[in-house]
Amino acid sequence: MSSQAPSQQTRSSDRVADAGTRRANALAHLLLNGVLVVLFGALFIKAGALPASMWEPLGAGSFPRLVLAVLVVINLGIMAQEWRHFRGASSAEPGLVRRWLWRHRLAFGVLALFALYIVGVPALGFRLASLLFLTLAQLALGVRRPRSLAIAAVIAVTFSFGLDWLFRDVFIISLPRGPFG
Amino acid sequence: MTEALFAGMDQLFTLPTMATMLLGVVAGVIASAIPGFTITMAIVLTLPLTFTMDPLQGVATMLAVYVGGYSGGLISAALLGIPGTPSSVATTFDAFPMARSGQPGRALALGIWASFFGALVSAIILIIAAPPLAMIAVKLGAWEYFSLIIFAMTVVASLVGKSMLKGLMTGMLGLFIATVGADPMMGVARFTFDFDLLANGFPFLVVLIGIFAVSQLLQEVEDAEQTQHGKQLIPANVAFKPLDALRETLTYPINLIRSSLVGVFIGAVPGAGGSIANLLAYDQAKRASKTPETFGTGTPEGVIASESGNSATSGGGLIPMIALGIPGSAVDAVLMASLMVHGIGIGPRLILDHGDLVYGMFMAMLLAAFMVLVVCLFSMRLFLRVTDVPRSVIVPVVLVCCVVGAFALNNRITDIYLLLGVGIFGYILSKLDYPLAPLVLGVILGPIAETNLRRALMTDEDWTLFFTRPISLTLLILAAVSVAFAIRHRLRQRRSEQTA
Repeated sequence: MSSQAPSQQTRSSDRVADAGTRRANALAHLLLNGVLVVLFGALFIKAGALPASMWEPLGAGSFPRLVLAVLVVINLGIMAQEWRHFRGASSAEPGLVRRWLWRHRLAFGVLALFALYIVGVPALGFRLASLLFLTLAQLALGVRRPRSLAIAAVIAVTFSFGLDWLFRDVFIISLPRGPFG
Repeated sequence: MTEALFAGMDQLFTLPTMATMLLGVVAGVIASAIPGFTITMAIVLTLPLTFTMDPLQGVATMLAVYVGGYSGGLISAALLGIPGTPSSVATTFDAFPMARSGQPGRALALGIWASFFGALVSAIILIIAAPPLAMIAVKLGAWEYFSLIIFAMTVVASLVGKSMLKGLMTGMLGLFIATVGADPMMGVARFTFDFDLLANGFPFLVVLIGIFAVSQLLQEVEDAEQTQHGKQLIPANVAFKPLDALRETLTYPINLIRSSLVGVFIGAVPGAGGSIANLLAYDQAKRASKTPETFGTGTPEGVIASESGNSATSGGGLIPMIALGIPGSAVDAVLMASLMVHGIGIGPRLILDHGDLVYGMFMAMLLAAFMVLVVCLFSMRLFLRVTDVPRSVIVPVVLVCCVVGAFALNNRITDIYLLLGVGIFGYILSKLDYPLAPLVLGVILGPIAETNLRRALMTDEDWTLFFTRPISLTLLILAAVSVAFAIRHRLRQRRSEQTA
């Protein structure tokens, strides 16, 4: 009995956490699909203004309208499903979103660096932006020891300057040069 | 025929031709193993190098890149979960879970053998049946094309993910994304909102890289503990046993032949190609399997079906090109261009006027399939070293390669902004359990679907023709069956879960 008690407690707390996660998940779906329904509805109306053709029964807007109408129906179907899940699950524990964000900190960190890199490519040029991105991303992802740092530096140079050379001189494709070109 | 065959072989089996073919195979495998580099790009880059070669040497080299490319897509699909090309989307369904469960060597070896047998079957069919198959393929009108797309979309929506509704939603979203930009019939700008970025629509390759690569790579680094302690993508001792994999592949002969035949036929349909063939072959294998519930968890049947299906399209694509002068895909169009550069006219008279060249091409397909097998078996241990690389290195490096792939496609900065946007959207969708494969398929097939729907109704306003033309009706019935099959499967699954 005593050996079962902690596991039962764990299972019970897991169930509460699962129910909370399910509710949060359902809410996220309701928000996303709700936004998509509004967006697709608006685009459906906009597609109606596209010109018809004298030469064919379907104009430029017909196919997109068909697709958008189906999308609205499907999204409403998903919302109906998720609404049932949302109502059926108990409310989420406080701090669930904060914990989720903290658990995904590394993914969001890499995403932020990647976004800065994308903006940096035209501003700094491919070589410099890639060098900075590769160095910072490898550091963020846990490269710490001297040997790993040396390897990270070689990788950063190879996949920034090396890749640029390969494309420029071998494939004759010029990657963005930037002001330091 | 025999005379032309021997003349073709005589020209083909020379040292310079075989040497350039071997280089072509290596280039094709490497190019399509890199996310963002398609077979089309590899072939386009090869084209200028063939200008100074003899016609057969030039086209054989390009065929080597082509066949090598279909096998190379397997590498990133299995090891990274990122399809190197659209034709390896279905390979990610089982090869990636298999690699993740500690068997990357088995996943790659199965894929290599399946690719080899697929290419072999397609080359044999090409030699025997090119003209009659081309006549069947050309009978498909706009109605049949549209119905084929509907079938492909329902198949992919029912195959992936836990919810068919979500699969359909992402598939339809892909179709909508494909409508952005210039209308394919009248050139009217649609949903561009005066943004230059949207004027030419969404390039499907950028969508493919963003959706699969960026979202997959971000998921790789979600676990901070594992990533920061230098964990590899696939934490396992890598064993590569090609002979065991050959024996295992041959235990599924029907799957292998059926998937290859699907590949050849879909390849012969102009415009369809490997992106549909691998999914249809996978779908057929799942339906015929005694254990369909294991599909998507790392079953060898799934890997074999997808890889033999996509490799077989390489031979199928040549059928309409050689017999009718219609390229089956963008790659076939580049192959056609290379022949035209040498002053060789493409069309029904090609086989009559240049029999030695045509049979030389057929033999080149066979030779390329053998070369790919040898190159892959020898180099795969090297590729498997990827699994030793820690995530802290591979994730940033592949992200940089994605940027290069997205930019190099059209030399447009706006494409890399698009890559970021699509990547973030793909990440959100994957976090909410939306399958991503239907979205990419929708983007690829959207213009074909719209053009053929409008062309069909332009030819005859009677929409019942979609249901009265036999091939079109068969495809629509198959689409309905695939939806019904998926719904029945889900209901059974739910019932067994409730019982448990």
